Amino acid sequence: MFKVGSRLFLGLTGFAAVNLVAYIIFVERLAIGGTALSLVFAALAGLAAVAMIVNEGDDEAQPREAALTRASMWPLVTVLGLVMFVLGLVFARVYFVLAIVVVLAALAEWMVQAWSESASDDAAHNESARRRLLHPIEFPVIATLGLGVVIFSFSRIMLAISKNAGAVAFIVFAAVILVAGAVFAARPTLKPALVGGICVVGAVGIVAGGIAGAGSGVRAELAEAASEGHYTHRECGAEKSKYFDKKAMKRLSLRSNTAAVIELRDGKLSALVLGFNEPQSVVPVPRANPVTFVFRNFDAAERRMVATLGTAMAATATAEAGKDAHGGKNETCTQLIPNGAEQGLTITYNKPSIAQDEPFTLSVPGLEGQSIQVVVP
Amino acid sequence: MNHESTPEHLGDETLSVTEVLFSTGNRLRSIAARTFAPTALVAILASCATNAPQDTWQPKGPNSEKIDNLQQPIFAVAGIIGIIVSVAVVYAMWRYKDRGQPIPEQTHGKPALEITLTVIPALILAVIGAFTFRVVFDLARTDDTELIINVTGQQWWWEYDYPVQNEWGITQPIISSGQLVMPAGTKVLLRETSRDVIHSYWIPALNGKRDAVPGRIHTLRLEADEPGIYAGQCTEFCGLSHANMRMEAVALSQEDFAAWVANQQAAYQAPAEGTLAKEGESVFLNQCVRCHQVNGLKRPDGTLAIAAPDENVWAGAAPNLTNLMTRNTFAGAMFDLLREACRDDVWNASSAEFGGKYLAGVDEACLNVSDLRAWLRNAPAQKPMYANPALLAETNGKYRGMPNLGLSESDIDKLVAYLLTLK
Repeated sequence: MFKVGSRLFLGLTGFAAVNLVAYIIFVERLAIGGTALSLVFAALAGLAAVAMIVNEGDDEAQPREAALTRASMWPLVTVLGLVMFVLGLVFARVYFVLAIVVVLAALAEWMVQAWSESASDDAAHNESARRRLLHPIEFPVIATLGLGVVIFSFSRIMLAISKNAGAVAFIVFAAVILVAGAVFAARPTLKPALVGGICVVGAVGIVAGGIAGAGSGVRAELAEAASEGHYTHRECGAEKSKYFDKKAMKRLSLRSNTAAVIELRDGKLSALVLGFNEPQSVVPVPRANPVTFVFRNFDAAERRMVATLGTAMAATATAEAGKDAHGGKNETCTQLIPNGAEQGLTITYNKPSIAQDEPFTLSVPGLEGQSIQVVVP
Repeated sequence: MNHESTPEHLGDETLSVTEVLFSTGNRLRSIAARTFAPTALVAILASCATNAPQDTWQPKGPNSEKIDNLQQPIFAVAGIIGIIVSVAVVYAMWRYKDRGQPIPEQTHGKPALEITLTVIPALILAVIGAFTFRVVFDLARTDDTELIINVTGQQWWWEYDYPVQNEWGITQPIISSGQLVMPAGTKVLLRETSRDVIHSYWIPALNGKRDAVPGRIHTLRLEADEPGIYAGQCTEFCGLSHANMRMEAVALSQEDFAAWVANQQAAYQAPAEGTLAKEGESVFLNQCVRCHQVNGLKRPDGTLAIAAPDENVWAGAAPNLTNLMTRNTFAGAMFDLLREACRDDVWNASSAEFGGKYLAGVDEACLNVSDLRAWLRNAPAQKPMYANPALLAETNGKYRGMPNLGLSESDIDKLVAYLLTLK
């Protein structure tokens, strides 16, 4: 009746019940945490019931002489996690969260190891049981962590070296990985230790390079660009930022969050609005919600799109420009962009159109008599 | 059972620990069986409900019909497979449960069986996938749209705005909430987004669900075969009052829809001087216009009253109350504006009569005055919201929902009289 499996789940159920009661008393009765803990409690109780009914996890019917325990590192890891937990409470939240993960992982490993070692008299069977239970979890987690460290290290290298060197490095790394993979696949008789050793050496090299790259900092142009607000820069004047991102058109965000695409083609300005089958001259946008317009220039000359934002405080642009930068006008704009290029402009209209003396518009300087009206209901 | 835990016999009348545990186990099994059976029975009986306006198995339009035509055979196939698997699992659990027998010999691999068990599900899924993709692409079409409505979700209500579309007589934007009004037999395209968190728009009788995501515009086709009201529910957990974030789609004949459009665009009619409603207009200007817009409403100095929900509400918007009494619901469609008898009269009307009854709107005789007064008296007590002024630090002092305005009963009388004029 109360075998190993059911005792485990009954214990966990009791632990969840204590947590639930403590949460309700000390935190909040109607909070989401209470709901989550209730579900955990119910799930564990269900598992306990199933374990009791089917006698799952019972190897005690097997006669055995003594528990075949072996040394375990998990108590030590658990204690280290608890120390980190306390330090995290005092110093930094990140260590606190990390400690919770470490403690939970160590307890899980410890628990399963202890269970498996007393599962039967057969040490090989016990180890097999442990592996079957934990390897499907351990391998993906360890692989994810390992790959994460390698990828992060590689990114530090790419940020530290020049653009051209970065392109070369990327190609070389990719080629090495491809060749190594091909060799490993073609030579299945290679010793696992040799394959593992080559992989470890490669990973250690990348991590070492990443540490060196992080130590030397990002390359000069990135540091300089960041200092002048490269990623949020907008200008309506003729001057352009040295580091203006001419490839902003490649950003995925421009594709996924577009209120309208404003096109200048054959001297005509039009708006392509999702859902409308014909080009529009009026674009509806919701009030008090950021919307992005994409400006595409198919004119031979460099052009920019200017958005009038109505009376003061009626709208705010996510970009830095606006208001005072343009002779007192309340407006914002894209960069001058060449033929075939496109750029996004994100704006929040907080007040409705009826609150304005003049309509919200999108226009292109030098293209007189044409504008797209933005209607905010 | 671990016999080592069995104590020495203490006497003929004393049960051993083993016997006690065994007896407890039997009792637990009995309780589990007695609990499971009625629960399963209730679940089965629930599927027989006839008054189920959000039943996914009762399509009322071509889009939901496509989904239904897809899900019926899939459900049948999945059901048969589910029964076979369940029976096999239960049989295996029972047949091979631990009765103290030794662990059987462990074998690994049976290629023919494994390949068969992989190929058969793969084929079934491939066939289902082919039909599913076709329906998915059909439902994603936007090139045959006849009417566009923008839908914006926020905690915990839906805003509908109708962009200018001259072919439908919409010459200026119409903005509404709670009830989506559309012409029947027309391909309507919703352009969905959200102002705060992810919501999901779902009118089961008309189509599947589509998430409304901040910063993105998603489309959803709706089309109703017949005039009527179709109920829905936000289906993406969106916070405290998610369960109260409802919606209704109202389908009207094209003539009735034209009448509705004309009425929505009519100029604001101020209440007559000296009436209770006129006093209510003053209360509205003092208390409500901070967040709620009524198009055309002017202040005593003649300037337009422009609401500023962006300064007071976390989402940046509050329901526009222009023509409030042409809707049947309020507070995120949680409460009816019509008393029960009047509401039933509209909901149960035939297709031919529905439009006339819906367009009649809400008058004093049919107004659900008790719910409306309770709402005006203390809104957070009627619908869970983050509206306690002392607990708004996380939102820079802005509300999520409507706060308790502390209105006097006299002011409530005036407001109700004023709101009744908004038709």
